[in-house]
Amino acid sequence: MRMLGLTMKRKQWEPVAFASPSLLLIALVIVFPLAYSFYLSFQNFDLSVGPDYEFVGGKNYGEAIFRDPRFLGSVWNTAVIIAPSLVLELLLGLGIAMLLSRVLHGRPIITALLAIPAMVSPVMAAMAWRMMYGVKYGAINNLGRQLGILDVYFDWFSSPFVSILAVVLVDVWHNTPFMMLVLLAGLQSIPTELYEAARADGASAWQRFWSITLPLLKFTMAVGVMIRLIDLTKLFGLIFVLTFGGPGGSTETVAFTTYLMGFKDFRMSYAAALSYVIVGGVLVLTLVFFWMQRVREARAA
Amino acid sequence: MAIALARSVVVTQRAKRHRLWRRVGHGLTYLGLAVALVFFLGPFFWIVTTSLKGNEDFFAFPPVWIPLEPSLKHYAALFTRSSGARYFTNSMVLSTLSMVAALVVSLPTAYSIARWRFGGGLLSIFLLALRMLPAIALIIPIYIVYKLLGVTNNYLALIVIYTVLYLPFAVWLLVGFLRDFPVEIEEAAMIDGCSRLRALVQVVVPIIAPGMAVVALFAFIATWNEFLFAIVLTGIETKTMMVLVTSFTSGGTDMFYGEASASVVLGVLPAFAVAFMLQRYLVKGLALGGTRG
Repeated sequence: MRMLGLTMKRKQWEPVAFASPSLLLIALVIVFPLAYSFYLSFQNFDLSVGPDYEFVGGKNYGEAIFRDPRFLGSVWNTAVIIAPSLVLELLLGLGIAMLLSRVLHGRPIITALLAIPAMVSPVMAAMAWRMMYGVKYGAINNLGRQLGILDVYFDWFSSPFVSILAVVLVDVWHNTPFMMLVLLAGLQSIPTELYEAARADGASAWQRFWSITLPLLKFTMAVGVMIRLIDLTKLFGLIFVLTFGGPGGSTETVAFTTYLMGFKDFRMSYAAALSYVIVGGVLVLTLVFFWMQRVREARAA
Repeated sequence: MAIALARSVVVTQRAKRHRLWRRVGHGLTYLGLAVALVFFLGPFFWIVTTSLKGNEDFFAFPPVWIPLEPSLKHYAALFTRSSGARYFTNSMVLSTLSMVAALVVSLPTAYSIARWRFGGGLLSIFLLALRMLPAIALIIPIYIVYKLLGVTNNYLALIVIYTVLYLPFAVWLLVGFLRDFPVEIEEAAMIDGCSRLRALVQVVVPIIAPGMAVVALFAFIATWNEFLFAIVLTGIETKTMMVLVTSFTSGGTDMFYGEASASVVLGVLPAFAVAFMLQRYLVKGLALGGTRG
């Protein structure tokens, strides 16, 4: 009996002791700064003015949500970049995943080659593409001229519309491989018997796609899109290198505007408030994501 | 299997036509994949060839797609003139040390969650929620705190932040690997007089080593690729490759190509290595945010 009591006690402290190092570090380096930042977002701390600050209530949040055309503009810009990126990444990712699932020879090597862009940092991706877009010495303009498609050197970052397209293209290049990998895994989990049975019943390729592939891939697609959506709200490195928000702020995303507010204008409190507005948005998206996962688990059970 | 079935059936005119279509379909499949490969690998080709070109080749028209006299002089310039050697080493050292630290700290936590369901489902959800957290929300307070403590431009302070940024991901992945590990083996070791910690280090770790290598590689590339914290918290001595590469953007759209492309080649090398080594785990790793600190 006494021995049982001892082991009970041991079992009570051991899990805590094992878990505590990382939990302490997370509390110290993530949770505490976040709380401090939340506190700051209600002050008027401005490093360009001085180290002193005072409580101003919800003023920063009021300014961010109702009166700051730059931040509201960046919300719009972010949405304008996100929408076409998501659609293209989903469609291209699905297309390539379906091609890959039909390949008999060399699938692992082709998949690995296609996956490389997803492992590259946004900064490096943007840098590589800056050299692709280069006006006089870039690959695209030179190839276009060589093939006779372009007759002038085209500046890809001169107008807001084309700049946004250029940013979307880089994001599609960078993140379609992720979508492709997720959807390929989803496709491979669909039992081949279903397709064989459908074929025996005389279903066409198109019918097999609509009544087997799409319904069974729906949740995988939704999960992939949600993950991309949440990550796209953080778009920063790509913008930093590719356009630095230009031309005329047309590619300033929420993360980039917040960065400029904090580390160019040094309005720390206001930047903290902006970042909490972003956190609020991401939180809503994350809850939708968890809810979707739950629905999926409920269906699977 | 489909081919074997078709063979066993008497070859009618219809089956012949079917086979022709299938061959056309296969051709189109490979053609589509070839187009995809050109699109996704094309920029890498351009960067690598550009980094090997002589200066006059940048300005040539028609463009020089494959440099006839490749030279490594841009790499030499990058390493000497732009202190590339130092920043490459910085990236290597920071990524390696925070990778080791993240593994050591996350392993017992993952063990606690896997074996004793520590924290219930709540802790797991909390860790997953941290993955969704926008880094911009964290960099503002971290910058102020680091500034107050006087530890910007400091290697150790950078390693601390990178280790912790990666912890939630490392714990998540390790829990998965540990759950697959049979409890009986470590229990046997403990009956033989091993302490729990010793059983973990001497019995469990060697067996789940491949899994830990996966976590380690993802940790390495996450720190290697990280940019926001690096641009804010590093100074002239502690810069990483990601910060160095942005210094070449100042020359307008046609910037100084040679060193810029050489630094991109060095910056994407780990991505190539990891894409091949971690193929089986790419989906999980990317979904959990393993490459984006």
